[in-house]
Amino acid sequence: MRSDSPSPNRVLLVLMLAACAAWLGLASVSVAPNRIVPGTAYLAAEAVGWPLALAGCLPMLAVAGLAWRPDERSLRLSLAVVLGLMMWLPLWLAINAMLLIDPDMPQSRLGIGPAVWLLLFLLALALIELRTRLALSRLAGWGLVVPILVTWALCLAWWLAPLALVREYQARSAQFLAAIGHHLALVGAAVGASLVLGVALALAMRRHERLERLGFGVLNFLQTIPSLALFGLLLAPLAWLSANQPWLAALGVSGIGWAPALLALIAYSLLPMVRNTFVALEGVDPGVIEAARGMGMSRSQVFLQVRLPLALPVLLEGVRITTVQAIGLAAVAALIGAGGLGTFIFQGLGQAAMDMVLLGALPILAMALIADALLGALASRLRDGSLTSPGGAR
Amino acid sequence: MRGWKRGVMIAVMREWRAPLVWGGLLIAFCLAMGELEPFYRLIEPDSRRVIYDRADFLTLLWRHLTVVGIASFFAIMIGVTAAVLVTRPAGRDFLPLVAQLASMGQTFPPVAVLALAVPVLGFGGVPIVVALLLYGLLPIVRNTLAGLEGIDASVLESARGMGMGRMQILAQVELPLAFPVILAGIRTSVTVNIATAALGATVGASNLGDPIISGIVNANTAYVVQGALLIGLLALTVDSLFARLQP
Repeated sequence: MRSDSPSPNRVLLVLMLAACAAWLGLASVSVAPNRIVPGTAYLAAEAVGWPLALAGCLPMLAVAGLAWRPDERSLRLSLAVVLGLMMWLPLWLAINAMLLIDPDMPQSRLGIGPAVWLLLFLLALALIELRTRLALSRLAGWGLVVPILVTWALCLAWWLAPLALVREYQARSAQFLAAIGHHLALVGAAVGASLVLGVALALAMRRHERLERLGFGVLNFLQTIPSLALFGLLLAPLAWLSANQPWLAALGVSGIGWAPALLALIAYSLLPMVRNTFVALEGVDPGVIEAARGMGMSRSQVFLQVRLPLALPVLLEGVRITTVQAIGLAAVAALIGAGGLGTFIFQGLGQAAMDMVLLGALPILAMALIADALLGALASRLRDGSLTSPGGAR
Repeated sequence: MRGWKRGVMIAVMREWRAPLVWGGLLIAFCLAMGELEPFYRLIEPDSRRVIYDRADFLTLLWRHLTVVGIASFFAIMIGVTAAVLVTRPAGRDFLPLVAQLASMGQTFPPVAVLALAVPVLGFGGVPIVVALLLYGLLPIVRNTLAGLEGIDASVLESARGMGMGRMQILAQVELPLAFPVILAGIRTSVTVNIATAALGATVGASNLGDPIISGIVNANTAYVVQGALLIGLLALTVDSLFARLQP
């Protein structure tokens, strides 16, 4: 590390003490006899007794102790312990399922309590902190997540059938997969359309200064309008159009459903897309363009072989922002009947079935994080590549 | 003398034109929604009632503003304080984690955050305020960090050279220099919060999102348009206020 006698890593210390407090003080699981009745909450100590619950604190205290002298070796050891804890949590849930769920009651279900959520969060923070301190690469960071995901997936598949989330999923697995497909299709269509439109618009704006001001004005205005309001405002004109234009109705366009959702998603996606494309194209060093011209390249060659590749990283940044934003907005679109994972969220809220809400919200969260990570990695890779050429874009 | 006063009035009016116009429209629509009944009748010819009447529009607006106001106030207080603390020597250990958390957290869709807040905190007004507060923290923390970290080291050096204390440097140099960036973060935070608060109507909060949700549930497009119009105007009013404040 930085100096010979490292000072204590207070971040890990605080995180681990908080984790201990959460583990001992908050309910780790809840047991409900069926879907509707709220469950009975159990502390870890109530499930397995105080001695075992206190023993559960030991790994966290060990990490806190290691954080006192954070050299390379103790940090690596801490990393292993934190990883182990995160892989152990699903097993802990499985143990609780065995202890607390009566096998004679097929309807009874295990809810994940605040202690487990908070532990997951605090451990994830510890993981990020350790990754930063050990200066692990992005790839290694994601590599760390793989074993955690694998253990969770295995436990969910084999031992966690009584988990409320799993029960919710099993009750509507076909619907769930269809909703994911639908969600992705909506996001894909919106991002694809806004990419084509956005690049075209940005190119046109570079030609005409007046269009630039008008375009950014309109797009900024649209971005300010809250999503729910934009969906609502599109509802009336589209309903009117489909009532008066039979061919539109035949296409499936109506006031509710995919049409207003897609339109609104494209409208929101255009601003980040146009802004980034515009900035990316503007940011290319004029000297490079001059040199390409001097080599006898034609206008279109200069654009396709020089300007566009150099602008690509920033353009991809726009795609990343747009995709992440669209994944969240598509969830809101479920309110106007566009389908997708938001359906589970709003149905679950309507029925006060919180595990159904989770079934909708967790995949959305995962999708947003994955899209962000993948597109971010791609952009940074392209950027590193373009740095080798003179005058890389920004 | 009177002419001079009028001149100032006109200048102020001109400077604040955009927020005044949007805000005026917002209030006018809240008060006079009933007068527009023939228009809504046109959108929704079949329904018995075309004007949302479960609550007064001004009341809904007030509730919307209260929820966003409380959440934003605490988000600003906590966010700026946290960002200031982690950029001081004593809290610097926490800087990388807080910075990563603030930028990573923005990937979380606000709907998902709101949805996840309900199982933990229950239905009603409180979970919405908490969800808005937590989500609203992120842009504020990120921008405050960016603003404070972006200050030229030589500026701080010369402030120290002039014999200013740490608190003095913070209050008289760092925060004023970082102010535009911090304000931009607050603007993002408030804009997102206005939109997300409207979604709170699905978890039992009564605000301007309510006409939209009940319009969708009862297939009454007129309600939807009324809610959407008012939320849109509210967002534009607040955004133009921030645009005016931005130096």
